[in-house]
Amino acid sequence: MWYGAWYDFWMDAGLERFLDLLDRVEVETVNTSVRLPVALRDAAALAVGMGFAESMTELTVAGLRGALEAVAQRAVLDAHYQQYPHARPSLAEIAVAAAELDGNPLAAQPALIRRAAEAVVALKRDPDADDVLLYAAGLAAAA
Amino acid sequence: MRPVLRRRPEPVSTVILDNEAVQALADPSHRKHRRVLAIIEAVTTRARRGSVGAGELIIPTAVQVEAGWDRRNPATAALNRLRAYRPPLDGVAADRAAAVVAALGVSVADAHIAEVLISHHGPHTVLTSDPDDLRRIIAHTGAPARVVIT
Repeated sequence: MWYGAWYDFWMDAGLERFLDLLDRVEVETVNTSVRLPVALRDAAALAVGMGFAESMTELTVAGLRGALEAVAQRAVLDAHYQQYPHARPSLAEIAVAAAELDGNPLAAQPALIRRAAEAVVALKRDPDADDVLLYAAGLAAAA
Repeated sequence: MRPVLRRRPEPVSTVILDNEAVQALADPSHRKHRRVLAIIEAVTTRARRGSVGAGELIIPTAVQVEAGWDRRNPATAALNRLRAYRPPLDGVAADRAAAVVAALGVSVADAHIAEVLISHHGPHTVLTSDPDDLRRIIAHTGAPARVVIT
């Protein structure tokens, strides 16, 4: 029991620190070395050469920030569900929302999406909304 | 039903929350709390994969004020740190929003949504419980946007 409480505390403190760092606006920079796949590095150099991006640094920072923001959002939502378990939407609810965001006509068939969600959960480990929509499109086409 | 299979997701650049969407998000006991979180989950999943169709969440600050979301409220400690861009209603934005108020007679919060539609690259999706008002605002701005009803 004490271990769980300590773990939660550690997670909260770590998450807070992580989010604080992401929110910090600063101009100070630091040199660091990372190993990149050669093709990715060459593609980035070409993108800069063609004027699609300012610099390799800009591309690297943007990519890193995008990845970290997505991780942060996931962590924030999971922390909220830990506090309010009833707030966690089901896979079917998320799939309906994804269809609405896309303007996908399947959004008008929530019962079909629910059926697809139940089937996909049985077929695939850790499925997401797009897996459900793909399966639902198949059900719709077969109907 | 083949058109369903052939249809490709239309990329969305921003997902903008209106007053009621923010109220629902900020209050775990709100009847639409899960619904708004489902939409945010859909956006988050795609952003994490870097998918086409992933959008940036935007909560205009005037909307946050009208919705009464004080992000220092300890009851929603985690959600207070939700990754959402909150554009300020600064001088330039206020001028544009004031013009929308004069033209349409909408609230300051809705006018700030209009200003965000004008000043940010689309296409946009606006989460709202009042689709008629929002469609009027979208038509006025001419921005590429769609409404999703919460």
